[in-house]
Amino acid sequence: MAEITIDGRNLEVADGLTSLVAAEKAGISIPHFCYHPALAPEGTCRMCVVDIEGAAKPEPSCSTVIRDGMKIETRSPRVVEARRNVLEFLLADHPIDCPICDKAGECRLQDYYRDYGFFSSDFHEQKKRRSKILKIGERLILDRERCILCTRCVRFLRDVTKTGEMGVFERGDNSEIGVADGVPVATAYSGNLVDLCPVGAITDAAFRFRTRTWFLDPKPSICPFCARGCRVDVDVHPGFARYPETGGILRVRPRPDATPAGPWICDVGRYAWIEIESRRARRIVWNKGAAEAVLSGDKVFSILGAKIRALSESGRTDRLTLVLHSGLTNEEWADVKAFRDGFNPRPKIRLADPPDDGGDDFLRTAERMPNRRGAAEAGCDLQPLDPGELREDTDILFVFAGIWGDIGDLERRLEVWRTIRTKALVSPVLTASDPLFDFVFPCAIPYEKSGSYIGFDGRRREFTAVRPAPEEAESEGEILRSLLAACGLGARTPGGS
Amino acid sequence: MKNAAIILWALIKGSLITARHFFTNLWFHFLRLIGIKKYRPGAVTIQYPEQTKPLPSRYRAAHRLTKRPDGKPRCVACLLCATVCPSECIIVEATEDPDPEVQKHASRFEIDLARCCFCGFCVEACPEDAIRMDTGRIDLAARSRADLVWDIDQLSRGRS
Amino acid sequence: MSETLVLLIKIVVVLAWFLVLALLLTWVERKQSAVMQDRIGANRARIFGLRMFGLFQPFADAIKMIFKEDFVPPFADKVLHTLAPFVSFFFVAVAVTTIPFGPTVRIGGTAIDLQVYDGSAGLLFLLAMLSLGVYGILLSGWSSRNRWGLIGGMRGAAQLISYEVGLGLSLVGLIMVYPSLRLSEIVAHQGALFLGFLPRWGVFLQPLGFLVFFITAIAETKRVPFDLPEGESEIIGFYAEYGGLKWGLFMLTDFMEIIVVAALATTLFFGGWQMPWLGPDGLNWPWGGHWKMASWVVVCLQIVSFQVKVAFFCWLQILIRWTYPRIRYDQLMDLGWKLLVPLGLLNILGTGLIMSLK
Ligand code: SF4
Ligand code: SF4
Ligand code: SF4
Ligand code: FES
Repeated sequence: MAEITIDGRNLEVADGLTSLVAAEKAGISIPHFCYHPALAPEGTCRMCVVDIEGAAKPEPSCSTVIRDGMKIETRSPRVVEARRNVLEFLLADHPIDCPICDKAGECRLQDYYRDYGFFSSDFHEQKKRRSKILKIGERLILDRERCILCTRCVRFLRDVTKTGEMGVFERGDNSEIGVADGVPVATAYSGNLVDLCPVGAITDAAFRFRTRTWFLDPKPSICPFCARGCRVDVDVHPGFARYPETGGILRVRPRPDATPAGPWICDVGRYAWIEIESRRARRIVWNKGAAEAVLSGDKVFSILGAKIRALSESGRTDRLTLVLHSGLTNEEWADVKAFRDGFNPRPKIRLADPPDDGGDDFLRTAERMPNRRGAAEAGCDLQPLDPGELREDTDILFVFAGIWGDIGDLERRLEVWRTIRTKALVSPVLTASDPLFDFVFPCAIPYEKSGSYIGFDGRRREFTAVRPAPEEAESEGEILRSLLAACGLGARTPGGS
Repeated sequence: MKNAAIILWALIKGSLITARHFFTNLWFHFLRLIGIKKYRPGAVTIQYPEQTKPLPSRYRAAHRLTKRPDGKPRCVACLLCATVCPSECIIVEATEDPDPEVQKHASRFEIDLARCCFCGFCVEACPEDAIRMDTGRIDLAARSRADLVWDIDQLSRGRS
Repeated sequence: MSETLVLLIKIVVVLAWFLVLALLLTWVERKQSAVMQDRIGANRARIFGLRMFGLFQPFADAIKMIFKEDFVPPFADKVLHTLAPFVSFFFVAVAVTTIPFGPTVRIGGTAIDLQVYDGSAGLLFLLAMLSLGVYGILLSGWSSRNRWGLIGGMRGAAQLISYEVGLGLSLVGLIMVYPSLRLSEIVAHQGALFLGFLPRWGVFLQPLGFLVFFITAIAETKRVPFDLPEGESEIIGFYAEYGGLKWGLFMLTDFMEIIVVAALATTLFFGGWQMPWLGPDGLNWPWGGHWKMASWVVVCLQIVSFQVKVAFFCWLQILIRWTYPRIRYDQLMDLGWKLLVPLGLLNILGTGLIMSLK
């Protein structure tokens, strides 16, 4: 423990902290560009300077470790003047093209200019021109004019992903960020560079010019694309007044506490929603022969309910099979259980998850589904699906496709298909196998649900819906409840799932 | 009785005033009629469709999207105008510009003039001097609400 | 036979004069009010690009009114509703027949009075006709079965009858001075001189009488500041349920009333067709000169003099209408009963006193 004084406040802090962290713990924030809590301090930007008693000049707080009895001033006139000068130098070659910069609104240069700047620059020289739209990765665009050489990007790739594609090239005034040998950044965590970059130098091609950041409404959720369960913010555009079509999910970012390893998420979690959104299913479809009929949900449920009731009246509800996936929330598993227990004999419940891939040694787990543990704990004695078993003993088949709409290799066993009289698909996206089913229901994607998952580590993660599902889409749990209600064998409870 | 006299006098004075207006205006009308324009006209009327009142130079009329020297709109779709607009009547969507010096331009720019309150905030907010309210157009009547939603072409045309 | 023919011609000429003047007055009213208020006034109606200062406006109005729907409210009394504007119109048109337009002229040995009807009680007849106009108002208000119309009609009846009293009283003094009810005689009396140079016009002999007469007469025309029966700008009056030509007839009647009042004021108080110092053989200057004139010149001058005076009073009435705001109903009644009627009585008393002293 060390006793220090920051801005006249006496604090007792653990040894070994840097003064920036110590100040932050005391609620005093110090402006900084290059320091990042999950990266080793580098001390290149000099924005974090503070006055330390006894030091001849202001010292960078991000890399100054505290000593017992240290006296720190974070807002002395000298410090403020120093920060202003740092800003002036950083902006000397900055293009100040905020109107076309996607970072505007959450850019540290803007924030600090408001706090410390408001100067008219003494630099009247021609600004240095550098390349502005440099593709350095599949979705990464580098604008060297905006870069302040904080090297956060370099350190992330060097220390976190250990791929080291980027570095600072040339020297002095000519220093610039680039990818070594022109090899683009290819790590599966490249999107984090966009969040890391404190200015608008690295921007996201997927978010490019979609909107301005201040229109976004960040909604906390849990990433549903693997069992890691990273905490994410889903940035939702509420849409311009009277133009609701302009709204929607525009970005997924890690929350500061996304994972214990740091505020990182993988590119799948960051970008997968784009494809899913572009393929979203929005209508309930009844495939009647070749024609496609569009019906209201109530009508379809009553048709299906009558069929199930017919099965149940002849005591053959075991010929009803539900094929599920473990992307359902714990609460939806309770609905599954209630559905199963609503019939005697019980319908068959099978699990068809996409096969595990290897994952990687950083964040991605081998499991592709977020809630396998929750599914196991639901008490539905789940068994994996063996498509062959459907041949003889199934009259009604419900397939709940995962978030990608994949139903395994079911559809390839066409001879199975003909023996099943009624087949229904529940999928958030349109799939190639839609026409094989008699009924196709759209459903909510995980971001549109509230509930909880149990991740790879056995911990429960709660989340709430970031926005309502499309009008005709319901969550899987709601669909099961509606179905049970339509069979006349259970009450349809309103409310979230 | 005194009151009545005052009232009577006031009444007479009133008609004398209106009568004076009548005769002086008639006189000026007559002078105009025979071609003498030295004096003021006999009426303050502006014969609207033929004559228009000169607008003050800072009058906020219908919007115009200004152009770059090469004729492309200056707007870079920064959405500041849409952000500041209190009537929420501007909608801008951005797209990539082939010119790397421009990078971004508006693929859709609509102002719903039926909702606009002509506050001029959008003009003040614009960092590119891309939107101005200097068309002088105040005759914005239309036969449907949709006709009052001006798209990027109409806005670029300005006075038309 | 020839007398009937002459009479017919006179009727046609007088009615034509009357109606044309009324039409013209609608234009004058528009233009005069505009000029008084620094405006231009209706100037858009045009024929073949000819605008003529909006002179075609009355025609445009007429065309518009003709093509408007002739709407009778379903709940209204259809017969009376249609009759009402004609009643108003008729009595005003009859009233004008008593006005002498000029002296008696001789054409080929026949003496023709420039007057349609010269009854021995012409003045009384005229007053009676004007009073009957109130039926038009009452009928229109009542037959519309519209409560605002009805209330407007009642307001109108009360106003007209109240001011009738003042009007009648204001003329009694005049009848005493020119001892006749025959309008031609009253005019003839005004040809004489008084104090050697002043014509013996009613306005000089009966200034108070004229004041009372003029105010009550304006009130009789139901125009601002006495437009409580119609009050079109806000209180809604007796012709609320009228539109198109019938409404136009009411408007026309209004303008005809202006002309009648102007003609009456001219006839009774401003010497009628008499021109000061103009005798049948020429001008006799009060200081003794004499300009000889042919008798047709004299007649023409006298007719013109009548027209000029009528025009002046029309102008004056329009001026008043566009100058004063409407008065309140209680003020209206106060003015009528508490000021004008006593003044009229006072005038009779004074006239009698002066006459008996002489
Ligand atoms: S690109 Fe961004 S993160 Fe990388 S050095 Fe430049 S400013 Fe820092
Ligand atoms: S003038 Fe005001 S209300 Fe109209 S578009 Fe501009 S900011 Fe919006
Ligand atoms: S503020 Fe100016 S540059 Fe930005 S979107 Fe509006 S018009 Fe375009
Ligand atoms: S944050 Fe300390 S030098 Fe950059």
